[in-house]
Amino acid sequence: MSQNTDLLTLRSVSKSYGKVPVLHGIDLSIRDGEFLTVLGPSGSGKTTVLRLIGGLEPLSSGEIRLDGHDISRMPINRRPFNTVFQDYALFPHMTVSGNVGYGLSVRHIKRKEIASRVAKALDLVQLGRFADRFPAQLSGGQRQRVALARALICQPRLILLDEPLAALDLELRRQMQEFLKSIQREIKTTFLFVTHDQEEAIGMADRICVMQAGHIRQLGTPHELYYRPNCEFVARFFGENNLVAGKLGTVQGEQRSIETALGRLVCSVSDQPHLKAAPDGAGAFAAFRPEALRLADTRDSDNHFGGTIADLAFAGSSTVATITAGPDSAAQRLRLRMPSRIDGSALKSGEPVSLSFAPHEGHLVLA
Amino acid sequence: MSTLPRFSTIFLAAITTLVAALLYSPLFVPIVSSFFPLSQGNVDWSSPTLSTYVSLAQNHDILAALRTTLIVGLCTVVLSVVSGTLLALYYHGRRAGRSFLQFIIFLPFLMPPIISGLALLIFFREIGLERSLLTVVIGHTVFVLAIVYRTVLTRLQSMSRTLVEASYDLGATGWQTFWRIILPNLSSAMVGGAILAFALSFDETMITILVTGTQSTLPVRLWAMMRLGFSPDINALVALILMFTVLLCVLAARFLIPRQMAAERS
Repeated sequence: MSQNTDLLTLRSVSKSYGKVPVLHGIDLSIRDGEFLTVLGPSGSGKTTVLRLIGGLEPLSSGEIRLDGHDISRMPINRRPFNTVFQDYALFPHMTVSGNVGYGLSVRHIKRKEIASRVAKALDLVQLGRFADRFPAQLSGGQRQRVALARALICQPRLILLDEPLAALDLELRRQMQEFLKSIQREIKTTFLFVTHDQEEAIGMADRICVMQAGHIRQLGTPHELYYRPNCEFVARFFGENNLVAGKLGTVQGEQRSIETALGRLVCSVSDQPHLKAAPDGAGAFAAFRPEALRLADTRDSDNHFGGTIADLAFAGSSTVATITAGPDSAAQRLRLRMPSRIDGSALKSGEPVSLSFAPHEGHLVLA
Repeated sequence: MSTLPRFSTIFLAAITTLVAALLYSPLFVPIVSSFFPLSQGNVDWSSPTLSTYVSLAQNHDILAALRTTLIVGLCTVVLSVVSGTLLALYYHGRRAGRSFLQFIIFLPFLMPPIISGLALLIFFREIGLERSLLTVVIGHTVFVLAIVYRTVLTRLQSMSRTLVEASYDLGATGWQTFWRIILPNLSSAMVGGAILAFALSFDETMITILVTGTQSTLPVRLWAMMRLGFSPDINALVALILMFTVLLCVLAARFLIPRQMAAERS
């Protein structure tokens, strides 16, 4: 599994349905052996990307290259990719083994070989006992696994998964996430996984490609996207980021200040040259995570400001406080997440608090 | 229904019973009387017998008509199922011209049979086609095509589009997808449509009278027999046709309904 070589490359790929554009010149490289998640709200074009790669729809312009060869016009049934559909698309008139073996039997592979490969694939998804059942006799999670076995038996270069977990309930979804990830490690095949669920994306992906309105907003590891979003959309889409608008100030080493309604805040700009280079006074946001915000007693640290607790919400292992901070004319609502304690929070609604976050835990995004 | 007052419930039950009695009692009279002999124009209720059925079985005219009906029915089924399925496949997913095609297909089914029959008769005469069993089969096919087309199209529309996409995605050709995915999923709709088409062809009288040559089908034969006078054979024949038609309807329902309910549930 050499994650450095590119398996598939999309070059300024555009797609329109009639006059309605859904993708605006996407560039994307998928590395061999990685688990890449395409994440975005509905209407962002994420499913279209998958359908274009799978060959279910023609491109409007641009090209798709596999190992450097243009496959944009290769018909769907010749592409070495297989899809796990959102509704599973199992053939209702075939048994589980009929479904799983379909991709081999249409290629006129010998019955004996099909039988042994089907058995192996069903073992891999732990459905060996269900080989003779029909799809209607299976639960949602089992159908999902049949769909996966049917896709991976053809030994595709790339498996495309179109929100395959959307129809499952929460507990089953968690199990299937782990299951998919372990299968992917075992068979060492590249997975392209489409979802609108950021938690799912963070939990499974090697890299995440965030899409919005037909554009790729950011491509990076879950860690990068979570802690170093490059735009307001990604910062807001991932978790419950606190965003405070302001104007950029001076650069000091790997940090830069920003003038906001909460006063002057200092945030890290390491590895983000475009933020270092942005002109003074440019509009930006200071972004920091609810878990980075702390109750502070001392007034000596940077990024220090006062606020009032508006609401406290107990959420099991953590407690989230909603805080109003800043002058009344430009009051900011912030979230603070802290570990819950058995004897309850020391805080009460309506209490004034003193807050801060460490500069290296804050970052900037351009407005 | 439990929310209705007691009086209305009884009233509705009475109406339902009355309607059912009016609908079905005329059907029961010939069935019951087919088991009793006729003497001097009156049914003799004292001695039940199967003699009407025996004389029916010895009536060569009736047997010939039955054979003709079956031949016409089978040919009609084959022609209408093949062409109805092809039309449904061709027009599935196509917007342009679909409602017009629908109209064209349904017109002969909705028009009074005498109009359809006359139109066909004039058409056959214009193109110089002799009246024969062939013209009867053509007439029946035109008449029942709508049923098969509609049945198959409904099934096609309830079939998930991703089934076809999945087949291609797994490497199948268009031909393989048709034979191994589309056709098996349509088969029960085609069987159901075929049974309905056969039942319709079996009963069809008006068009048949107009376009047939020398051979008559069973309903036409029956009609001729009734004009000559009331005979106990007719009771037996009506009873048999009724039983056969009910059987066909039950069969058709078996093929058509469970799948539709399953589709609705998912």
